[in-house]
Amino acid sequence: MNGPVDTSDFLAGFLVEAKEILAGANAGLLALDTALEHGKPTLRTIRELFRLMHTMKGLAAMLGVEPIVAIAHAMETVLRAADRGEMILGKEALGVLFTSVSAIAARVRDLAAGRTAVAAPAELLASLDALEAGSVPLSTVGRAPTFPPEIASKLGPGEQEQLAAGIAEGQRAIRAEFVPSRERAEHGVSITSVRQALALVGDLVKVIPITKASPSPGAAGLRFVLVLLTLATDEDILRAVPDLEPDLTTLAETAHPSLIEPLEAEEDDDVGIRGRHVRVNVERLDDAMGRLSELIVSRSRLLHALDRLADAGVDVREIRDVLHDNARALKGMRGAILGLRMVTMAAMLEPLGLLVRGLRASTQRAVRLEIEGGAAELDKAVAERVWPAIVHLVRNAVDHGLEDDAVRRAAGKPLEGRVRIRCGSFSSSMLEIRVEDDGAGIDIARLAARAAVPLPDDADGVLELLCRPGLSSKDQASTTSGRGIGMDIVKRIVVDELGGDLAVETIRGKGTTFVLRVPLTVAIVEAFRFACGDQAYVVPVSSVEEVLNVDDLPSASAPRQRPGTPTVRLLQRRDETVSLVDLGALLGHPAAARPKALLLRNLGVPLAFSVDRMLGQQEVVVRPLKDPLVDVPGVAGSTDLGDGRPTLVLDLLELSARMDSLTGYAP
Amino acid sequence: MTNSLYIVLRVGDAEYALLAVDVLVIEAFTGATPVPGVAPHVAGLVQVRGDVVPVVDLRVLFRVPETPPTADSRVAVVTSAGRRVGLLVDAGREVVKLSPSVWKDPPELVSRQSRGFVRSIAHVGTRLLMLLDIERVVGTEALDGER
Repeated sequence: MNGPVDTSDFLAGFLVEAKEILAGANAGLLALDTALEHGKPTLRTIRELFRLMHTMKGLAAMLGVEPIVAIAHAMETVLRAADRGEMILGKEALGVLFTSVSAIAARVRDLAAGRTAVAAPAELLASLDALEAGSVPLSTVGRAPTFPPEIASKLGPGEQEQLAAGIAEGQRAIRAEFVPSRERAEHGVSITSVRQALALVGDLVKVIPITKASPSPGAAGLRFVLVLLTLATDEDILRAVPDLEPDLTTLAETAHPSLIEPLEAEEDDDVGIRGRHVRVNVERLDDAMGRLSELIVSRSRLLHALDRLADAGVDVREIRDVLHDNARALKGMRGAILGLRMVTMAAMLEPLGLLVRGLRASTQRAVRLEIEGGAAELDKAVAERVWPAIVHLVRNAVDHGLEDDAVRRAAGKPLEGRVRIRCGSFSSSMLEIRVEDDGAGIDIARLAARAAVPLPDDADGVLELLCRPGLSSKDQASTTSGRGIGMDIVKRIVVDELGGDLAVETIRGKGTTFVLRVPLTVAIVEAFRFACGDQAYVVPVSSVEEVLNVDDLPSASAPRQRPGTPTVRLLQRRDETVSLVDLGALLGHPAAARPKALLLRNLGVPLAFSVDRMLGQQEVVVRPLKDPLVDVPGVAGSTDLGDGRPTLVLDLLELSARMDSLTGYAP
Repeated sequence: MTNSLYIVLRVGDAEYALLAVDVLVIEAFTGATPVPGVAPHVAGLVQVRGDVVPVVDLRVLFRVPETPPTADSRVAVVTSAGRRVGLLVDAGREVVKLSPSVWKDPPELVSRQSRGFVRSIAHVGTRLLMLLDIERVVGTEALDGER
């Protein structure tokens, strides 16, 4: 780089591009994982990965970020060799590539946070180089593992095949040892009982009796070497069969099987990101929506002025027609802007691939994730809110739903558990998301007993039981889930906050399906919370210019008010006169001290509403009130602040537009 | 004709009936969020099974002297033309099975007093049950003249 370069503009653009490249790289590696396992072609994916890392290298070079350049370059070399067929990418190579992408991601995060990227880790670069040089043993997928002579000599071809297949499937081949003794025999522990116990934790491939000089005097010189295929950990095995000799040896293993069916290919993916799409900052969309809201409010003022004209005898029919068309156009505009915020389910659920991969490692279960209906779309705000709920359900399915291998085998199910997410439109305004697993189903009776409640008699009752806070069907919280804090939050998000539906279908032995229905779009606003009397209300922050301390400002009463209407006072603030309306009184509360006031500006005219107490600020989901019985001006909708009671979302601008009819005073 | 199931709701001293199929759920009443500017018989909003529904206070609608809600007070959520509306009543736990043939036209006095809210009446033993016209009860025509 020659001379100092102002990279701040580049940095913003780089960060956006880098994020997309990393997402694409992870997706590509996951697809490669699957393809390798099922013997599907990989060339296209490898080339795509090469292209991504090449782009990343170029961008990083422009910015002068050496560490990322180094890692990307090394990855490029590996991928090029794979492309040429000079090396075969196996599980181990994939692991190194995944780690490399993570390493780049970490450095991109550093840059985003304003830090410099740390140097690329030497071992990582060395691993990548070694991959390319071919000195790391290639994956043993499909190849027979080699065993120590004492075992190898005893294995028949059928047993060797069984072992190779089991390892390819993701199990470990383990050598265990059992030494029979008179004491053990007296307690009923023999090679037969050990075989039975081992059958619960894995496949016993071979039992090899060995006669040797006994290690302890008095014991028969007989010992058994057992070759076991299993997914269980050493601790699990020793716990299940405590009479084994404590040293277990892993003979061979490979990484677990694939777990992702490729997401549905979008037809125009090949056209590339720059094809027919633009990237838009969400804040700009919010800004556009805000300006639209202003238009809607001003329309309401127009209508009001029109009423006054009509009262004065003017023929306003034509103007009303125009305003009517205007309303329709505004509605259409609103729909169009909301449409800009839609994301596809496939895009939203993409990180699940990585999540399941991690779960698979931490729970030691073979699991496959399938996603159907990825083309369905959802408002970004809804997607962000529902995401943690889906994550929890998927974790639950893997951790609680899927049974141990022995149980699955006995039930005739494939060892690989399946979690399927299906998306489809439920109605013109709602999306249905089903999270299905083919596991054990929910033991409702046990849950009911644990919660000390009677057995629920319908689906609603089952769901209520599941969503009790603190309930968990696992005896101990596992690391992935089971703390029992999840399902009630899922219900809170989907039902109370988003105004959707939650249902569960479960069959013992077959599996469980959670059905979520969420609105395609919702209004989410940052809001002030305040109280009048004992009632809490919220009002969008965007409509409030400032929160005033009424007592700090000089005031006087307003002239010419209509009797029976809430008192209006005039505040002197800076060099303006601000009309102060008692909001508590307007809302029907008895007179009280209202020391705080929300200052609004409606087309330049300042207006303040006094309230009892400010309670705070938070993001809320606004659910419109559609029923005609409660469709009143000044109420934008209701929200759930977490207490299960509806809280009104007020539209103070609308109220201020009707100020003269409400108070007899026009500011 | 086969019997149908009816939910019996008590408002003041009177007993009203609704076809059970029109009633989605009946829950205890723990207070409604008041909405400013609504008709006097609209008590406000409640959240039932995740739905936010308006609540019509039948005691106000039927001009029964108002008493504070008790532990027996109930909100019966009914459906009408795709809307879900809650009805606030003094008690609502009883389910009866009646033949649809028991319902007769209401006498002149009842019709006039109930302003169209009662569709028909039935004598069941010593009790007088009045079948409600849900659409009228949750309708917005009731708003005229009330505000």
